[in-house]
Amino acid sequence: MAALPARAEGVPTKIVSLDYGLASTMLSLGVTPAAVASLADWGRWMVEPEMPASVIDLGNSWEVNFEILAALKPDLILTTPYLDTLLPRLEATAPVLRLEIFTPETGEILPAAIAATRKLAAAIGRADEGERFLAGAEALFADCRRRLEPLSPPPLALVSFMDARHARIYGAPGLFDNVLRKIGVENAWKEESNFWGYQTIGIEELSRITDPRARLIAFEPLPGDVLPKLDQSPLWQALPFARPGHFSVVPPALMFGMVNEATRFASIITRELESGS
Amino acid sequence: MTGTSTRLSLGPAIVTLAMALLAAAIAWLQVAPALEAAPAAGYDVPRMVLLYSTLPRMATALLAGAALALSGALFQQVLRNPLASPTTLGISAGANLALAIATLFAPALLGFGRDLVAITGSGIAAALVFMLGARRGFSPFSLVLSGLVISLWCGALSAILMLLNERYLISLFIWGSGSLSQQSWSIPLSLLPKIGAIAILSALIIRPLSLLELGEAGASALGLRIAQLRFIAVAAAVTLAAFVTSAVGVIGFIGLVAPTIARLSGARRPVEILVWSTLMGASLLWFADSGVQYLAGAMADFLPTGAVTAVFGSPLLLLLLPRLKTRHRILQGRTRQAGRLAIGPKALPLALVTVILAVLVALFIGRAIDGTWALPDASIASEILGLRTPRVFAALASGAMLAVAGVILQRLTGNEMASPEVLGISAGATFGVTIAVFAIAAPGLASQLGFAAFGALVVLAVIFAFSVRSGLAPERVLLAGIALSAMVDAVVGILTASGDPRSFFLMRWMSGSTYTIDGITAITASVAAVILIATAFSTRRWLDILPLGPQAATAVGLPLTSSRLALFGLAGLLSAAATLSVGPLSFIGLMAPHLAREAGLVRALPQMAGAAAIGGGLMVLADWVGRTVVFPYAIPAGLVSALVGAPFLMLMLRRKA
Repeated sequence: MAALPARAEGVPTKIVSLDYGLASTMLSLGVTPAAVASLADWGRWMVEPEMPASVIDLGNSWEVNFEILAALKPDLILTTPYLDTLLPRLEATAPVLRLEIFTPETGEILPAAIAATRKLAAAIGRADEGERFLAGAEALFADCRRRLEPLSPPPLALVSFMDARHARIYGAPGLFDNVLRKIGVENAWKEESNFWGYQTIGIEELSRITDPRARLIAFEPLPGDVLPKLDQSPLWQALPFARPGHFSVVPPALMFGMVNEATRFASIITRELESGS
Repeated sequence: MTGTSTRLSLGPAIVTLAMALLAAAIAWLQVAPALEAAPAAGYDVPRMVLLYSTLPRMATALLAGAALALSGALFQQVLRNPLASPTTLGISAGANLALAIATLFAPALLGFGRDLVAITGSGIAAALVFMLGARRGFSPFSLVLSGLVISLWCGALSAILMLLNERYLISLFIWGSGSLSQQSWSIPLSLLPKIGAIAILSALIIRPLSLLELGEAGASALGLRIAQLRFIAVAAAVTLAAFVTSAVGVIGFIGLVAPTIARLSGARRPVEILVWSTLMGASLLWFADSGVQYLAGAMADFLPTGAVTAVFGSPLLLLLLPRLKTRHRILQGRTRQAGRLAIGPKALPLALVTVILAVLVALFIGRAIDGTWALPDASIASEILGLRTPRVFAALASGAMLAVAGVILQRLTGNEMASPEVLGISAGATFGVTIAVFAIAAPGLASQLGFAAFGALVVLAVIFAFSVRSGLAPERVLLAGIALSAMVDAVVGILTASGDPRSFFLMRWMSGSTYTIDGITAITASVAAVILIATAFSTRRWLDILPLGPQAATAVGLPLTSSRLALFGLAGLLSAAATLSVGPLSFIGLMAPHLAREAGLVRALPQMAGAAAIGGGLMVLADWVGRTVVFPYAIPAGLVSALVGAPFLMLMLRRKA
């Protein structure tokens, strides 16, 4: 791969992505995608890297707008196993690169995301940029680890609230769990989760986390009425996390992302721990 | 109490008690482990969950069940309509839609004003239903038709909001389907005084309501102010339903089933019906919810109980139907001639021109990559047309088939509300496809079609069985159809809540999305449409004669049973083939035959031809609007047609006064 010249002839330049993680990785490799699926929600779930205004919205990722694809005539469509039902029609439209990150066989997500980044970089003639990007990510993880070490950070439980009674909690082998280990923070939730890296629980099950130092981190966006309802909920109030300083809400970070989302997550967590302790 | 009334009350008392005991037994199974476990130090999970989740949930179930049943009983009593309930009158759906809109666009309203938002929504729904019903002397049917129309309209709009905000509204979806899951006592404690106050108000109007039983003239003679009484009773019923929807979402069918069981088990006088309905509603929902939790185990919190009550409530209703005394005679619709829109002989060519225009617009006008309206660019015209053609023709064929099925059913049953959607035939087809999706790994088009036809024909067989036994009392058929549609909705709702990816496919398909239609599906639908509609045209003589009544039919030598059977079968095949492409919600089968008749097409053949053109054209336009209006996103064609069709139909109903 390293033998490939940086900008070979016939390398695809007009690329569309049906996946947020792949789209943000493209931006980091210095290539602006021509179009991205579900672009309208980018700001709500991704926030950064910022998507240039020139990028076209492909419509809902489950119902990608084929009229736009036909008009764009992309050189390459990036997709994931999640959208395999669309695969035959996509392949009839343009060359497709299907990168596997979240599959039942994957296991650890971060290494899979790194491998997919290399594949993508090679396919679009940006192998050097890919290595530089990955090295930058490793440096960021190492920096976070260095900053956190002296703080002896508490174990963290990471959740997204679905309503005031239920949450998704992130565990092994998910992206967030991988990153926590990289930056030297213990995941307070020890149970194995599904291959996406989460498990759906009732909030009372948070009481199974017994470490008295453990802190709970919830990610935006929160369904509107969750915080006021938690305030009234004895189930929540009796949890150790309801004590002051043990629960915080942080900006969105995509749990189903790739390396960019991993570094964003690492930065958010590091900042949170530095400010909160 | 007199001896006779005690004897009469025994039946409802036994039924209520049996239901409550069953519920208590199941509830005990849930509660016992937590009570027997030795108290643990610190956060005692079983005890915490018992105190702040399980018990408040039971209290909520009892209160919500009582409120909905009382609401239904009040509606049924004051409207003298055994089909009335918060579900069938669109009251719950109205509250639900108002809450969904408020959640999205004015979340600040929801904190304190949640109940107000819900009452506004259900009040508007009620006002619309009654405004339409009043024009027809509050006939049970026109009320329920209006209620269904509003229900479907609110449901379609909620579904569109959900699709466009999919990730954000997950919790709204769970809640919207009626989840009783609790995390504190705040909901039952706030429901109690609200429901209590209205229950007291209801107790105060029981006596005047009883006088209403004497008939309006008699009641007026006794000095009753009927209009005022009606208003108070209806307002109380609407408010009850709104409180419940605001607190726990839509709990389907309790408000219809509980009063029905009360009456069937022997409650006669208004006071008996109101009291026993309320108690039965409470124990019924408690039973349903405990059962759901017990059977679903860890999944229980995500299973919307409201959907489960519909699944269980509707077959129960089906079983009870033959025993339902048709106390309320249906106002026999005057055999109407051409409506006011009558265009005369030009109607048919006009409809054909319109449908051709619709097809051309749908094929050639779209949105370019930058969102501007444009004809497809010459360089990619063939690709774009290749993408649009299958969808347009599948929509055209399906709309036409639904319309013709609607004409056949309306003529056959003498029921102007009959249509594949309302009679539950589309629901049957959906059920068939659901089975196909879950039983066969990857059902092909042929097996989907087969299962859909099977489901539709089973429903039709049931309808036919009824028609043989009871001369097709429209009331029963309609009630059965509502029950079935709600059941299918509920089953799919439950499957969706389970998170199974196949259910996601089903939900999309049920909303009538033409996205996955390819050339083969489109050709299949078109061929089916041509063959089946041609067959329908060839039965025009039957369809002209059968509505004149059995005597007339026998007089001209028409084989009554076999001709009806054949026509029902044909309508079933038409519905199944159409449902496959555009889902069960589209409304076209109800709308197109009406429009054709309004336009002056009265005899069977012209009405079928006109309806087919109108139905096909409407479906094509719905698909086109869905594809373009929120471009590059899309709204399923079935939802668009329901959204556009419902107000249109209401307009029609108003004119017919």
